[in-house]
Parts: sequence; structure tokens; C-alpha cells
Amino acid sequence: MIAEHLALFVASSLRLAMPLVFASTGELVSERAGVLNLSLEGMMLTGAFFGAWGSWSTNDPLLGLLIGVLAALIVALVQAWLSVSVGANQLVVGIGFNILALGATTLLYREVFGALSRDAIPGFGKWHVPVLGDLPWMGTALFQQTGLVYLGLGLLLVTWLALDQTAWGLAIKAVGEEPRAADQAGVAIRRIRYGAVLFAGGMAGLGGAFVSLGDIHTFTENMTNGAGYLAITAVIFGAWRPGKTFLACLLFGAATALQFQLPDMGVTVPTTLLLLLPYVLALLAVVGAVGRTAPPAALALPYRRG
Amino acid sequence: MKSLSSALARPLRDRRSLWTLVAIAGSVATGLALVALTSGSIWDALGAFGDGTFGSAYAFGSSINRAVVFALVGLGYILANRANLVNVGGEGQIAVGGMFATAAALNHGISGLPAGLAMLVPLLSGTLAGGVWGAVAGWFKVKRGTNEVISTLLLTFIGLLLVYGAVQSEALLRQPMTSSATLPESLEIPDATKLPLLFAASGSPMHLGAPLTLAALVLGWIVLARSKFGFQLKAVGYNPVAARRAGIDDGKVVILSMAIAGALGGLAGAMMIQGEQYSLKSGFSSGFGFDGLVVGLLARGSPLGVLLGALCFGFLRSGGIAMEITARVPAAVVLIIEGLLVVTIAAASQLAAHKEGAS
Amino acid sequence: MGGDAATPGSAPLVLDGISKRFGPVQALRDVSLRIAPGEVHCLLGENGAGKSTLCNIIFGTLAPDQGGMRFGAGPYSPDSPAAALAAGVAMVHQHFSLVGNMTVLENLMLGQVTGVPNRKAFAERIAELSGAYGLKLDVSRRVQDLSVGERQRVEVVKCLMREPRLLLLDEPTAVLPPDEIDALLAICRRVASQGAGVVLVTHKLAEISKIADRITVLRGGLVAAQASQPNIEIPALVQAMIGRELKSLDLVLAEELGLTPPPESEAPPAAPAHAHLPAETQEEPALMLDGLDFVDDTGVRRLDEVTLLVQPGEIVGLAGVEGNGQSELGAILAGLAPPSAGRVFVAGTEITGRSPAFITAAGAGIIPEDRHAVGCIPALSLAENLLLGSLSDYTRLGLLRRRQMRRRALELMAEFDVRAADPDVPFRTLSGGNQQKAVLARELNLRPLRFLLAAQPTRGLDVSAVEAVAVFLREAARRGVGILLISSELDELMAIAHRVAVIFRGKIVGESPAEPAHRQHIGALMSGHGI
Repeated sequence: MIAEHLALFVASSLRLAMPLVFASTGELVSERAGVLNLSLEGMMLTGAFFGAWGSWSTNDPLLGLLIGVLAALIVALVQAWLSVSVGANQLVVGIGFNILALGATTLLYREVFGALSRDAIPGFGKWHVPVLGDLPWMGTALFQQTGLVYLGLGLLLVTWLALDQTAWGLAIKAVGEEPRAADQAGVAIRRIRYGAVLFAGGMAGLGGAFVSLGDIHTFTENMTNGAGYLAITAVIFGAWRPGKTFLACLLFGAATALQFQLPDMGVTVPTTLLLLLPYVLALLAVVGAVGRTAPPAALALPYRRG
Repeated sequence: MKSLSSALARPLRDRRSLWTLVAIAGSVATGLALVALTSGSIWDALGAFGDGTFGSAYAFGSSINRAVVFALVGLGYILANRANLVNVGGEGQIAVGGMFATAAALNHGISGLPAGLAMLVPLLSGTLAGGVWGAVAGWFKVKRGTNEVISTLLLTFIGLLLVYGAVQSEALLRQPMTSSATLPESLEIPDATKLPLLFAASGSPMHLGAPLTLAALVLGWIVLARSKFGFQLKAVGYNPVAARRAGIDDGKVVILSMAIAGALGGLAGAMMIQGEQYSLKSGFSSGFGFDGLVVGLLARGSPLGVLLGALCFGFLRSGGIAMEITARVPAAVVLIIEGLLVVTIAAASQLAAHKEGAS
Repeated sequence: MGGDAATPGSAPLVLDGISKRFGPVQALRDVSLRIAPGEVHCLLGENGAGKSTLCNIIFGTLAPDQGGMRFGAGPYSPDSPAAALAAGVAMVHQHFSLVGNMTVLENLMLGQVTGVPNRKAFAERIAELSGAYGLKLDVSRRVQDLSVGERQRVEVVKCLMREPRLLLLDEPTAVLPPDEIDALLAICRRVASQGAGVVLVTHKLAEISKIADRITVLRGGLVAAQASQPNIEIPALVQAMIGRELKSLDLVLAEELGLTPPPESEAPPAAPAHAHLPAETQEEPALMLDGLDFVDDTGVRRLDEVTLLVQPGEIVGLAGVEGNGQSELGAILAGLAPPSAGRVFVAGTEITGRSPAFITAAGAGIIPEDRHAVGCIPALSLAENLLLGSLSDYTRLGLLRRRQMRRRALELMAEFDVRAADPDVPFRTLSGGNQQKAVLARELNLRPLRFLLAAQPTRGLDVSAVEAVAVFLREAARRGVGILLISSELDELMAIAHRVAVIFRGKIVGESPAEPAHRQHIGALMSGHGI
């Protein structure tokens, strides 16, 4: 009985962490390159809506996923233009995009889905991984998830390696730390930053589409409900490092899973405490109570040559 | 008076303002197009917008009440920003301000005080709580070097969740549960603790907060333009090391300015409860802190800009609600207009700066 | 790499009528010059003459308003440093362009590698190259932990790795001790001998006579003079550089700054301005440093048992190559960092670890080495900067009394010859010299004033401003103020100070009177020899 609950808990923690894993992995790269996307929430919401809409109208969740990512990429492109080329205040633009995305998806949802809003849309089913999925405890916990979960974990791994081992990762970190030095070493600042923001957008789109297509199989107004902010929080708590950020996402996912599971098990813990956990932990991290963390030196600062 | 009139004249002259006007016009035009697409009659929608803003004493008063909140948060933002601090925590400061104001107002000892004090003490409690919420971020910045954008953002989420928790638990602020239908919100605060309405007879909900806010804006303008403290803010903002060298306690200035910004947010939260809502609900701050932040960001350091921005957003919000109710325009359209306004104004000010730099 | 054959296809860089304007300032005006392969071309000029702007245009950081360039066969108009690097142009920047929290290896790899680089092979390539040029590097260290000289080595290696056809060096010797300067000049010569053009920006005349094949003098954005070996005449170039007769300068100062040839004999110069050392007094010393230690965040000992006395009326020079603890000492005296051990007294009052306000009240004025970071607030007005430390005197009921501030500022401007259209103009619009005079005006008007720290007070100033600073310092000493003058320019110390102490790796390693006979000894101490 306990083992069953535990396996279920691990499985739902992972599932609930996945939107954060997608979005925070993208945002991490963007922040390491010096661009803060407070608009991550808006990008996720955009991905969630257009993923749902695409899947609903093509009847193919995979096409829906692509459409969701594409829509988020368009938002990211505008965000990149404003942050990198125009040099607008990244906080303002981010908040503006979140308001805009909330308005636009809500409006489109009502116009497009209208009365059909209660219907489920074609989404991704769970993938029972051969052999591994049959393992007694591990199977339930880890290997009966939608394929998107494994895609997310794969992308995380690739990003981690790329940041650590490639010339591209080196350039990203230099651009976020000392853009002037990177520029004078011949690194194309704009290209790197555009690329990083687009990557964040694509990943946020995947994260959003995961919510609508991989988890809930429908769209509701404001369905990401702050997941974008939580992903940014995970990046902060993860000290701008991929491994720690992933662990932060898992922790936040676990906190959410507990809210649902503890009452089931007859345990009453004030949900407020579980909801507070991610933010309190992140705050403790940034004030140096649990290990010292410093953001990339050029975070949110536009670069102008000369 | 001379500098006030020149401040009024300046926006019309510089190029940035021109671009800003273009941004506003473009956003509003997009909004109108959406209204036409979604509601059928643009004139009905505009009529509803008019009714919802200036159409009645009630509409006008509730628009002003919204503007009051935006203005206080925006003023706090520009004060702290003068010291080069970015307070994005208005929403959380409103939340804790409203929460503590409610707690104080529901305390029998306080509500039993003579009339003026019964109102004043909760107002000050909220202000103080917001001040502490802001000061904490300043203190982290000074003592631990924590970026205040990050800490105020996190403190906002924490503040919002504290309100959520407070109205979930009877041991805290939730009203006594008489049935399963009892809403998770506080009791209504006693009449003695409510802010007096200015034009109660006309049905206007405008409360004492409006003149208080106007006074705060004037005071803010004097502090920024004329006072030694305003100068110290500026000096610390431009160059904390040089300011310290000149004998200014830059750490104190940072904490104090964040405390003031937070206190203004807390005051706004207290006014929302004591002036209009009368009971604490989860999410009562409804994003007003972020709207106020945007007002502060777009005001470019000027209290007059805060006033104009706050009025603009106050009426936009009220008109939007009216459009939804009477002309069945989705409220989402107003969100779209607001989002577009924020993004395009931010871009416009920067684009104009580029052009000026290039010429 | 390291081959001595001239790179095939090397060609001159030709600048044709380059002009560049920043707002009201015409930084370059119709500058034409030719840098031939294989030559070391020195760019000489005072601060603000346009040397750095010219380098930045060649390196693609700035675009010229008018004029064009040719490099090799065709036109050359780089729109970014990346384009310049691709064309074979490399640059060592005056303010280093390295990423502090990355290792030396990562900094060198940046922009040089693609895909998944092989770190080990790359490190070997660096080892080979730096070995060939005698540039010692530990590639695993973080750049932020390196000394200024080591950082410059990284910059130089970064350039050499690209095997440039044109190497630009913007004031590279300002941060180096004498022997490292020679090593750097040798590298310049070697690069040139391999067929590349080398542009060396400097204001040190000694270097020019050592290495220049050709010299271009800039003044006010114009080419003021050009000369080639063997027809380089230093006095004529100096005159072209400062734009007026040498005779109009303070003689001692001009000589010590190297603007006139040093006297052949060891005879003391005539009537040095600092000949009158005040008589011993019974007063407390203006400054007393007692066993000062400073260990920084990373655990490095930056100051080691520094003990020093400055008597009232005395100017003590602290000589040393940059990065030997002077900045830390300055920060401690300014109240911006507490010492790890030891005590500091100003006119008998202990100020160890006290706040800047306390230190000011004890009678210490501070001319900080980094004028823009510590000395002033460029975005504020001139008047506000002049009165930054005495705001309380101009406050009533919490409000500032602008009219009184303005009146006082005008007085100070007149007294200290600070030239500006109005006290309310932004400080940043002033020239470097006028900014420094304003900082001096503020600090010298503190009451009481018993001690003055002047850290690198003439850095980045033109000759007439240097002269003014020297005059103000001497005048203050005559009034009985004890002065500690920190400078990495030995010439300047010899000209102004009564006595010179030498700091090396955070330790006072020697002391001697500021007399020409001791010059060589002091120079040796600065680079760690003869201790």
C-alpha cells in the first residue's frame, strides 16, 4: 500500500514537474545569455492554447504540439526583437506579454471553442515503456508516462551537455556575463541572444502544450496559472545551473503532487504551506541561506556596442 | 509653479512622447478592431465604455478608486527607482497591507477606538506591513547582495499565498464556518473602520483614498525634486560608492526607499479593503500591483506621469468591465489592449531613444 | 605559429580621411595614415586626442562618419569586431575584454572554437604558443583571480593565437612594470618581423624611441605630425602633441614627465619647487598607518604590514606598479573597506574601519584613483558634485537650498579654475581635467583638512591639467596638509613628492628622498628587484 502510494507520488511529481522542466530549461539558457523572459508565462499559455487548438482542428496531437511550439516561437521572436534589438525594458515587456497572452488566449478560446469547451481534445496517451514499464515499482513511478516526458528529459540532457561542452555553450555564458568581452572576441551577441530567447520560447511552448495535450487534454482559461513564474523561480533556486534547476522543478512538482495526494492518504497539511514551499526555498536560495547564488552579470541588460 | 508648467509642456515636445502617443493610438485602434469583430457594434461598445467610466457617479468613482491603487504603487516604484531599485513587488505589498489592515480592523480593541482612530489604525497597520515587506527586500539587497527584482517577485508570491492561507483557516482570518457554503473569506470589517465615502449621496464609491493619494503624489514630487532625501536617492542610484564616500549611508537609503515603496503598496492594499471591498478574499489584489508597476515604469520618474498613467489605467479597467457587462465585449479584449499598451509603450520609448542617439 | 617567414599576402592598412563625431565633440577629423606590414607604428597623443577612437574604428567597434579604409587588396569596412578579426585584425584593449568568472582557457577558446572543442588539444596549442613567446600562463585559473599584468598576457596570447595581419595595442604598457614593458615591446617587434603591421598606442616617449618605426601624433582629432625612423625627433613630436611651446610649462614638471630630454649630468635640476620641506613640528602626523593588512574575499593578501607616516606639510609619494595593493590602501583610507589588521590614524584620530563620514570629519580628503566610480557622480550637476559632501550645510527643513548651492559652486569654480558653462551642467560633460579640478576643489575645501590622499590624480589628464593638479597639491602642502600621493608614474612622483616609498606585492619595500640620484633604485624596487 505504501509502496503503491509512493510510486504514484513519484509518477505524479514527475508529470507535474514536466511543464516546469521544459520551460525552465529554456529560460535557463536565455538567462545565461543575459535575457530575462518574464514572458515565459505568456509563452507557455500561448503554447498550451495553440497546442490544444492545433490538436483539436487537425485531430492529431503531434501536429497540435508543433503548432503550439510555433505560436510560442512567434511570441519569443517579438520578445527577442524587443529585448535584444530594441533594448526595451525586459521586465515591462515580459509583464506586457503575459497580459497580452492571457487576453488573447482567453478571447480566442471563447471565439474558437465556444460551446465545445467541455469536450476533451485529442492528446498524448501514456506510453507504457516495454519491459521497463512492467517493473514492479519503478514501472508505475517512471515508465508509464507520456512520450513527452522522455522528450523533455532528453532535451534537458542535451541542453546540459551543450552548455557544458560546446563552443555554443561557452559563447552563451560569455554573452550573459561580459557581453563586451564576447563581442570583442568575435562572438555574434545578437545571434546568440536571439537564439537563446527562441530556444526559451520553443521550450516554453512545449511546456505549455504538455499541460494541455500531455496532462489535462483540454484547454481552460489561464490554464498555466503561474507555471511560467514558477519555472523562473526554479531557475533562480537552481542557481542558473541545469542539474540544480531540474532538481528544483522536481521538488516543486513534488510539492504540488503532495497537495493532491496527502488528503487522499488522510493526512491533513495546510495546502498553503506546500504552495509556499517553492517561493520560500527560492527566496532562501537568493539570500544565500542555502548556498550562495549570483545571477549572470549581464542579466536583463541590453548590449550596445561602443 | 514654473517647473510644474514646464513639466506639463515637456511631454508634448520631445520625440519619445510622440512615439508613445503612436503606441497608445495603435493599441487602442487594435482594441477597437477587436471590439468590432467580437461584439458586432462598435458604438454600443464605446457607449458602454463611456458609461463605465464617466457615465455615472458610480462608474467615475470606482475608476478613481482603481487609479488610487495604481498611483500609490506607481509612486512607490518611481521613488525606489530614483535610487536605481526596481520594486516589482507591489502586488505582494498590497496583499500583506490588505491582510494586516483586515486583521487590525477585525480586532475589537481597535474597532472600538474613537471613530477616526478606528479607521486610522488599520490603515497604518497595512502601511506598516507593506513597508516591512518592502524593507525586507532592501535589507536582503544591502546585507546579502540579493537582486531586488528577484526578491520582490518572490515576496509577491509569498504575500499572495499568505492571504490565501489566512482566509482558508478559521484560526486566522476566515469567517466562522456555518455551513459548507461558507466562503473562504474574512468577516466584513466594522463600519467604524471603513474609509468615509466622499460623495455617498450621489452613489459614488470614491473614498478618502483619492485626496490622500493626491497629497502623497504632491509630497512625492517635493521629495524627489526638492529635498535632501530625494537628492540622496538620486546620488545612491547613480553611484552608491561615490555617495557613500560623500558621507551618505547608502545602505540606509536603499532599505528606506524600499520600505517607502512597500509602505505605499501596503497603504493601497489597506485602502482596497477599508474603502471598497470591506472583507479579505484570496486574490483580492487582482493584479492591481502589476498594473501599478506598469504605471510606475511608464511614468519615467515623474509623479505627474504616475497620476496620468494611473488615471488612464483606472478608466481603462472600469470601461472594460462595463463593455463586458453591457455590450458583451469579452473582458479579454481589455487585457489585450492593456498588454499591447505596455509592450508598445516600452518599445516606443526605447525606439525614440535610439533615433535620438543616432541623430 | 611562431614561424619567422612573413605571412604571404600581407598588405598595408590605409586610412583615408576618417572623421568621427560624438555629439558636440569631433573626436577625429580627416585622419589619413598608412600602416605598412612589418612596421611598428606608434600613435602618440594626449588623452582625448582620438587615439582610442581610431583603434576602435579599425577594430570595427565604431563606424566612421566619413572616410574609408583599405586593407590588402580591397576596401575594408568592418561592422563588428568579428568582421575585423575575420580580416586579420586583432586588438589588445586598454580596459581588458575578458570574462572574469571564466578560466583563462575558456577565455582563449571564446570565439576561436566551434562545435565540441577538444579542451586538451587547445590547451596544448596555447602552451606551445605562449612558450614560444615567453608568456607564462596558467590556463586553468579564473581570470578574476589574475593580476593586471597576467590579464594582459591573456589578452596578448588571445591576439597572437589568431596570427593577425594587423595587431592593435591600446596603451598596453600603462599597467606594466619596466621589465615587462620591455618584454611586451619585444613581442611587438617580433610580430612585426613576421610581416604583420603593429599599431602601438602610447603616451610614453621612452617607448617610442625604443621601438617605433613610424610615429603619428594626434591632437584634437587631427594628425598633428608624422615621422619615421631614423628622423624621429622627440621634442618636435612633444610640441606637436601638446600644441604649445614647451617653455610655457612648469620646467621641473615638464622635465620629469619626460617631455624634455633628461639632463646629461646627475646634477640636481635648478630650483625644484619642492625644495622647502617644512620644519619638524610638534603636531600629530597627518597620517599614520600602523601594520596594515588586507586580505581580500578570495583569501589573497593584498596589503602586508604596511606602516607609513606622513607629516603635516609633507608630500609622500607611494610608487608602485598598478595592482600591488594601492587600490586596497586607497579603499581603506576612503572608508570603503575595513583593513584585516592594523590601524589608521588621521591627525591623531583613529579612523580604522570607520565610515567615510567619520573619516571626512577627522580631516581626511580623498582624491580616489577611479574618478568615475568613487570620486564623482557624472550624471549629477557640477554644483551637486562640488557640494556632495556638505549637503547638510545647504539643507533647511529637509529641502535643499539650490540658490546657495549655486553661489558656492561658482566661488569654487573660480578658485580652482573649473571651466564649465554653468554650475548646473551635468558633470559628465566636463573634460577630464576639469572634472579632476572639481574633485580637488571639493576635497581641498573640507574643514578641517589635515590629510589628503591623492590616488593616481593625474591619470588620463592632459599636460595642462596635470600641471594644475601639481600646483594645487603643492599649495595644500604649503598650508600644512600632509599628502599621500599614490601613482604608478614614477616621473610624476619625482616631480611632486618630497619623499617616495615603494610598494610591491602589498609591502613597503623601500623609501628614499625624491631626488634624481635615487631614481634608478626606486625603479628597481618597483619591479621587485633590489629588495
